[in-house]
Amino acid sequence: MKILRAMIAGVLLAMSVSAQAATIEMDVNGLVCAFCAQGIEKKLRNFAATEDVAVSLEQRLVAVAMKPGQDIGDDELRKALTDAGYTVKAIRRVDESIDTVRARLKAAKP
Amino acid sequence: MHLSNGRRWMAALLCVCAVASTAQAKPIAFANGTTVMSEYGAGTMIEAQAFYAPYYWLSTGAGYLHLDSDVDGRTRNIEYVRVNYLVKRWNLDAAQANVFVWGSLGNASGSDFGGSRFARNAGFQLDYETRRIYSSLKSDLWESTAFSHRIDTLQLGLAPYEHDYQDIATWFVLQARSYTGEIHRGTEWALLLRLFKGGAWVEAGLTGDGKPQLMAMFNF
Repeated sequence: MKILRAMIAGVLLAMSVSAQAATIEMDVNGLVCAFCAQGIEKKLRNFAATEDVAVSLEQRLVAVAMKPGQDIGDDELRKALTDAGYTVKAIRRVDESIDTVRARLKAAKP
Repeated sequence: MHLSNGRRWMAALLCVCAVASTAQAKPIAFANGTTVMSEYGAGTMIEAQAFYAPYYWLSTGAGYLHLDSDVDGRTRNIEYVRVNYLVKRWNLDAAQANVFVWGSLGNASGSDFGGSRFARNAGFQLDYETRRIYSSLKSDLWESTAFSHRIDTLQLGLAPYEHDYQDIATWFVLQARSYTGEIHRGTEWALLLRLFKGGAWVEAGLTGDGKPQLMAMFNF
């Protein structure tokens, strides 16, 4: 019973961390032009849960910062980018602020 | 600007390369976006367009086209409504390619016929771009009972650096354009500087015979 409780607590903790992920990162194909990628930013900013959006053409990455305690499902994100005309390769949640993500992206520039 | 046979072959070769690997300002920018564009084409062509895209693959709007022949001075003025459709998009790792088609219906007047005529239009654009290479091939056919004109435009661009989302993008673009129906003889070459950032795009340059070629486009 104790093991079961520990497992449930572990799952709930993992879900809680996931739900509170500060930023969602997406690897996106076709992201070559700032002029075109503004459609992605516009689309993502329409979500009520979106705090901020960062786009890196260099890393082919789109990052969305969540408002505290809020989240956007992977299916919704994938649909938003598909509706914007792009292809999502991967979605991951990171416990970093979007400013930290921006700094990381900037540091990775050649 | 008239071309020698050698230069014609080079133009044909560039066209073939463009079909294999092409791009340009897109008639559909993004879903729920509005695009406003104006172009001054070396005194031969002036065009203004406004489109709204409910989807990333469809936009509709209106435009105005003025042609001024440098062969015999004939003019065309066409006001039209247009639908643009994205037939196919390839989202590659570090590149994007598109096939667009469009059709228009309009009202045309001209200096060599009376009154106004119903005009129809069909066109396509093939494009391919990375952050360093840009190319497009665009063909626009206008017809009425009084005229038939096709405007073919090839653009090949090189970026001196790879821009990112917050940067100003800079491109050097070589443009080749031809007109049928006695608007312009031969191929009109132009060298253009293109800059864009955010939703604003400006392009300016000169044709081979020193005439200005200008374009501005805004997405919002």
